[in-house]
Amino acid sequence: MEAIMKWNIPNLKELEDILWRCTACGTCKEAYEYGPPSVSNPICPAGEEFGFEGFLSSRGKIAFARGILSGDLKWNEALIDAIYKCNVCGGCQSQCQLDHKPFIPEIIEAMRRKAVGDGVGPMPKQKVIAQSLSSYDNPYQGPRRVRLDWTRPLKKAGKPVKDILKEPAPILYYVGCTGGYNVPVRVVPQATASIFNKLGLDFGILGESELCCGSTAMRLGDVEAFQRIAESNLELFKKLHNEKGVKTIVTSCAGCYRAFMKDYPMAEEYGRMMEGIRVTHTTQFLYDLWTSGQLKFTESLPWKVTYHDPCHAGRHLTKFIVDKDGSQLWAGAYINLDEKDCLFDTPRELLKAIPGIDLREMKRIKANSYCCGGGGGVMTGYNDWAQRNAALRIQEGMETGAQHMVSICPFCHYNLNQGAQGIGSKMKLYDLTELIDKVLPEKVS
Amino acid sequence: MKAKKEIKKGKAVKAVRTDKKERILKELKSIVGEKNATADQHILYAYSYDMSFVTPKLPDYVVMVHTVEEIQKILKFANKEKIPVIPYTSGTNIGGLCIPEHGGIILDFKKMNKIIKLDPEALYAVIEPGVSHGQLADALYKYNLRFGWPVGPPSASVASCAICHGIGHMNARYGLNSQEITSMEVVLPTGELVRVGSCAINPDAWHSCLPMPQMDGLFKGWLGSTGIVTKLGIAVHHIPPHLKIFTVSCDHVDDMYSYMLNMSNYEICDDLTAVSWWLSQVPIPYPYKPKPDNAPEWFSYATTFSFTEKEKEARTEIWEKVLGEEKNKGTSIQVTHYPEEALKARTQLPSQIVGSTKNYCKMAGGGISWPGTFTPANRWAPIYKEWKKIMIGHNLSPSVRMSMYRGVHYGMLRAMTPFNKQSAKETENARQAIVECLKVDLDNGGMPYKPPVDFATEINKRAHPGYLMLMRRLKKFLDPNDIMNPGKLGI
Repeated sequence: MEAIMKWNIPNLKELEDILWRCTACGTCKEAYEYGPPSVSNPICPAGEEFGFEGFLSSRGKIAFARGILSGDLKWNEALIDAIYKCNVCGGCQSQCQLDHKPFIPEIIEAMRRKAVGDGVGPMPKQKVIAQSLSSYDNPYQGPRRVRLDWTRPLKKAGKPVKDILKEPAPILYYVGCTGGYNVPVRVVPQATASIFNKLGLDFGILGESELCCGSTAMRLGDVEAFQRIAESNLELFKKLHNEKGVKTIVTSCAGCYRAFMKDYPMAEEYGRMMEGIRVTHTTQFLYDLWTSGQLKFTESLPWKVTYHDPCHAGRHLTKFIVDKDGSQLWAGAYINLDEKDCLFDTPRELLKAIPGIDLREMKRIKANSYCCGGGGGVMTGYNDWAQRNAALRIQEGMETGAQHMVSICPFCHYNLNQGAQGIGSKMKLYDLTELIDKVLPEKVS
Repeated sequence: MKAKKEIKKGKAVKAVRTDKKERILKELKSIVGEKNATADQHILYAYSYDMSFVTPKLPDYVVMVHTVEEIQKILKFANKEKIPVIPYTSGTNIGGLCIPEHGGIILDFKKMNKIIKLDPEALYAVIEPGVSHGQLADALYKYNLRFGWPVGPPSASVASCAICHGIGHMNARYGLNSQEITSMEVVLPTGELVRVGSCAINPDAWHSCLPMPQMDGLFKGWLGSTGIVTKLGIAVHHIPPHLKIFTVSCDHVDDMYSYMLNMSNYEICDDLTAVSWWLSQVPIPYPYKPKPDNAPEWFSYATTFSFTEKEKEARTEIWEKVLGEEKNKGTSIQVTHYPEEALKARTQLPSQIVGSTKNYCKMAGGGISWPGTFTPANRWAPIYKEWKKIMIGHNLSPSVRMSMYRGVHYGMLRAMTPFNKQSAKETENARQAIVECLKVDLDNGGMPYKPPVDFATEINKRAHPGYLMLMRRLKKFLDPNDIMNPGKLGI
């Protein structure tokens, strides 16, 4: 099905001039901060796992892109495999200082879009996602009715969640597929809904009618599937606003949040469709309630924890200031960045506000966070590697002396817990909402 | 009929080559493991180019090594098969030094990145070739120590830079990175393991190359063509708590030379550098743009570290004395405010700002090269004047830097030259300008470091026959089958 809306999603050829801004200097290869003291750490999961230039950071991916565009590299199994062996985590992007910096994930995904367009991508295991999205509107091959399974304990407790298509509510809680279908991660929407109930918020969910946000399709280069899904969602959101009074969409999924904040605005109709609707992540939403005094922590949780910044709710939300018309420096010059949308400090402040919490930072945090290894289609395409990489992050967390790791992404939740299990670690990954739910009294006045 | 025969013959030759390639790859995999050797085209492609004007060329294989034993086995095999071997860690040099001239095996040392020893009392470290400047800085800062950080990306290899006579900054009083080398372990092209310096006599002593015969010279400045350094001892230094940077500017290169010579004689600077207006810009203007009439043509920053306030004051007193003397001579030297971003990039090292070459080639896109030389300081001014004409003639900025090393013993003179690598024409234009500049420098007694083949050819044209004879003889002695990074020396 062709897109109805007009999308400004560049193809690889359109990015050619930009990718030639890369000097191959290799600054992207390690996370370095001058300090003092100077700190330096590996940043690229693919580089850690596969080693060779090409796999390593944006310098390598841009080599592939140049070769594909020049015709020096032809599609073959190994090349296709290589372009999908990347988490598109943006860690390399955080290091780069050149004009192509703002476009690094775009360049990687444009290669994948070309692979899909040429009929050679994604990888066989990842093709299941496209089929599942088409058949079930989710990447987990789960029947639509299963999407509501996470609500059962709430229903049993006499706290059913409102179906927003039947009853109006100002807040749409957009659960996301991972929270809905991935059994160990259902604790995330459960904790979120529990908190909302305790706070007496008027919210609803789409239930079986919720569609995937399309992020997975976009990350794999299946732009048509993404557009189809995104357009349906934008239509739905507009309808919910007009007919059900939805003013705020809250999601606890970093992937969905990234899609709504960065991918959907590539539709020219985005502004019109989303007029009057605010999209926010659960973390920001709860933070706002906490700062306004509506959310108060009265109970204590004496845990030593460390915090993992998910890529999609962190550095992926960086805004780049580019001299588009050349009026300041030259056309296309990268000037600066703005991290105000990145959820770096918000979750940490909330964590620290919980009585008893002892937050211990890992070496790689915020824009230099080390990806859990699950993103960019890797968890589906290369599960073993995703788990090995998650174990590296868990080990880093253990080095802080923390008992548990906290994050705000269902994807990281699943993958990091898998990683911990893989190495027999007792460290467990909790979503921030799980902790908040534990310390929030049943009824908040 | 004849044509058919030719095609058949061609196919047969190709088949033999393919068989040979598969056999070699199989052997390499048997040494390093299946995942650590490849002949995949896309991986080879990623190793085929760097920042420089040097024409991209593909290796035939890339091998990720993890141990000294693996390196030995590979070199023995390559030597037997007469396959070129190119050492590689990060590929961040700007002389195309890791671009294979004749195909062969790229040995990637990235995963050999252990800091084996760090002695904060004896002030030396022992590192593997894959240790990056960022990694070493991280480790040294824990002891308030530093090294001579180059103006390169944090991911660049410490060992590669040191053995290629890389320039260190903020500690030019100690000399080049290669002058900080204290011991070496090397695998010869024939696969034998050797040691030079104190570690050759006592395996735990990595403190000094002297007073023994300086056999470390067999591996320094040879651009990886005489062996593979697998462990390197390097001197490290304390970071004194007080940093003072004296900045001046002037209108003429002769005035700047006069000031720098005067300052050098007092030996108070950790780094004494001057840059032309074009290099003080972040980034270097590309293409050339004229300097504003009211802007000075030269800026200098002199970094001085002191252990006490009094020491800092004494250094300041000397600097003020020099300044007064230079003013009395009637030069245009004056105290100035150095551009903030440029100063940060050159004094906060290793740096992502300058390491990413943000200030060098950000505006041009894609490419950067240089005539990078050691040149007698008293030839800086005349050479600069020639370089300026050449660069402007090629529509390139004369972004020149001059630094004193070890007092006035020698100076570094270079012109960082960005270019648009997307355009073959602009790349060739830069290459021509750089080679022209290099010729001027050589004829004035200068000597390029980390030279691309274009430079090596020019050096050898001017070389004493005995120098070339000795070089060939040593190369033949160490590398009888010319497998190590062949072609780079231009002999």
